Amino acid sequence: MFKYFGIRLLALIPKLFIISIIIFLGLQLVPGDPISRTVPPDKLAEMDEEKVALLREKLGLNDTLFERYGKWIGDIFKGDFGYSLSTHGEINKIIANRLPATLELAAIGLLFATIFGLLFGFISAIKQRTPIDYSLTTLGIIGISVPQFFFGLLAILFFGITLKWLPVGGRMGVGEQAFFDRIQYLVLPSFILGIVYIATLMRYTRGSMLDVMGKDYIKVARSKGLSEVNVNIKHGFRNALIPIMVIIIMRLPYLVAGTVIIETVFNYPGMGSMLVFAISGTDLPIVMITTLLIAVVILLASFLVDVLSALLDPRIRLGSDKEGA
Amino acid sequence: MNKDIVLKLENLQTKFKVGKRIVHAVNDVSFELKSGTTLGVVGESGCGKSVTAHSVIQLLPKNGMITKGSVTYRSKAGELMELSSYKRNGKDIRQIRGQEIAMIFQDPMASLDPVYKIGSQIAENLLEHEKISKKEARARVVKLLDELGIPEPDKRYDDYPHQFSGGMKQRVMIATAMICNPNILIADEPTTALDVTIQAQILQLMNEVQKEHGTSIIMITHNMGIIAETCDEVAVMYMGKIVEFGLIEQVFNDSKHPYTKALLKSVPVLGLGKGTKLESIRGTTPDASDAYEGCVFEPRCDSAMAICKSVEPGETCLADAHCVRCHLYEGGSK
Repeated sequence: MFKYFGIRLLALIPKLFIISIIIFLGLQLVPGDPISRTVPPDKLAEMDEEKVALLREKLGLNDTLFERYGKWIGDIFKGDFGYSLSTHGEINKIIANRLPATLELAAIGLLFATIFGLLFGFISAIKQRTPIDYSLTTLGIIGISVPQFFFGLLAILFFGITLKWLPVGGRMGVGEQAFFDRIQYLVLPSFILGIVYIATLMRYTRGSMLDVMGKDYIKVARSKGLSEVNVNIKHGFRNALIPIMVIIIMRLPYLVAGTVIIETVFNYPGMGSMLVFAISGTDLPIVMITTLLIAVVILLASFLVDVLSALLDPRIRLGSDKEGA
Repeated sequence: MNKDIVLKLENLQTKFKVGKRIVHAVNDVSFELKSGTTLGVVGESGCGKSVTAHSVIQLLPKNGMITKGSVTYRSKAGELMELSSYKRNGKDIRQIRGQEIAMIFQDPMASLDPVYKIGSQIAENLLEHEKISKKEARARVVKLLDELGIPEPDKRYDDYPHQFSGGMKQRVMIATAMICNPNILIADEPTTALDVTIQAQILQLMNEVQKEHGTSIIMITHNMGIIAETCDEVAVMYMGKIVEFGLIEQVFNDSKHPYTKALLKSVPVLGLGKGTKLESIRGTTPDASDAYEGCVFEPRCDSAMAICKSVEPGETCLADAHCVRCHLYEGGSK
């Protein structure tokens, strides 16, 4: 089994390499002279051509594409992410500030969505073709089809402004740095972030459960005299979980995409709002690093899918190093 | 109810609701199962033989239900129980399932839960019904697996279903059914999904189990050969009704109902010769949701008479226990 995981892990390296090349080349296609994005226009007008040429040389813009990629990826390996073009701050520091905020938001959103998505899907399947199932399915369709920002705005209006239960945005108030203080800021954005996820997971869980409940071994479990709770959970849900685990992780990119919208709506200082800011300001170094980080997260998630499927399914776990009969 | 009878079905009727239609899967079925014997239930696909057996322990899908009749069972303790009155999946029927009446199914490949060890799936039945420790349960499972011809049972206990072959899986299913030493074993086409050589082994094994434990067996199959091989009595079903019932010799050597005769004629026999045409029953089974008058087999029957179109034949008993539902024999002996 460890050999299997080792191979999967090693396979990530070439994937990451290819993605980094795509990101690098893709952003070379952005129109405009990089110099004009580095130096403010009024200062650029004052500079003579010699100075501009010198700056070009200093920034490495005269090097070949290959050399520039090498330098970029080399610096990243050394842990130097470069400087922001708009704020001129070190990207390392900016990310160190913002990444924990996004991780916190995404993790709570994911946890919340997984619990409720699986729970609602399970109930919906067990109560198939009853009013409970119909209402949950309808809510699920609403959850999937209404855009997140709309839910976000509604939530801000209702809970933030009308009821004044929760803050309308931000991550922490003055002097409120403990996690406990920050929770009130996390409730709305993580909940809204989770809605689409809940709806998606619910649909998959329902489908997977119904699929499993039609299997012969469920009938066998009943024929042994097991209680319905036992049949539904131990044999039904346990088997339904295998494909769902994969879906949970395969859907992570959508969660990441969701944070971009949610952080903007809630004015939440994370990676998502930073990315929006960087794109609108053509702050390419930040856009490149952020995109690369997202790719890393998604690749790691796909690795996690392999590990989890193997842990949950003996056919995969044992099939890799033992011959099946 | 006679002392030697363990199960008695009387006028059992099971219906399914499919959309807005009502399908009469089992329609007025009665039979008795004698202790320690094997009763065969034979018929074409969709004739209601499986549903009859599933109705006994109420193992029906959500849209199916027993609407009439009774299922009387004599427990190991000698108590008479009315199984059809129990709530579906309720505590009463669950105590019967697995412990008193166990079941094995058609497809052993699909009958085992892929994520649990085979031993624990057998022990699950035992632990549900008896107050014993996991260790004792394991010991008993290993012993039974050994009896059922599984090599290295203690090692194989910890294997997963995908590591077993089809025949071995069916042995595991027999072990699951037999671990609580049930009174009745319902075998729903237990060999249909297996190779012919494995089929013989499994039937042999069931025979041995029956001798050893005195279990009564209900053998559901569409294979006349298996019936002849394993059963003491046989019920021939057509469209949710038993059309002929009798001892195995009576039904095979002196079959009365035109359907039974046709069924026996359509069994291929070795050495029949290449050019010989194999008989088949003309037409197809009608839709069970349609209402009908007269005999259900009339449209396909070669000996149909005028009366068959309008009047449903009742049950006529010719000799002891040999009964048939056909107008040809009405007004005969008794």
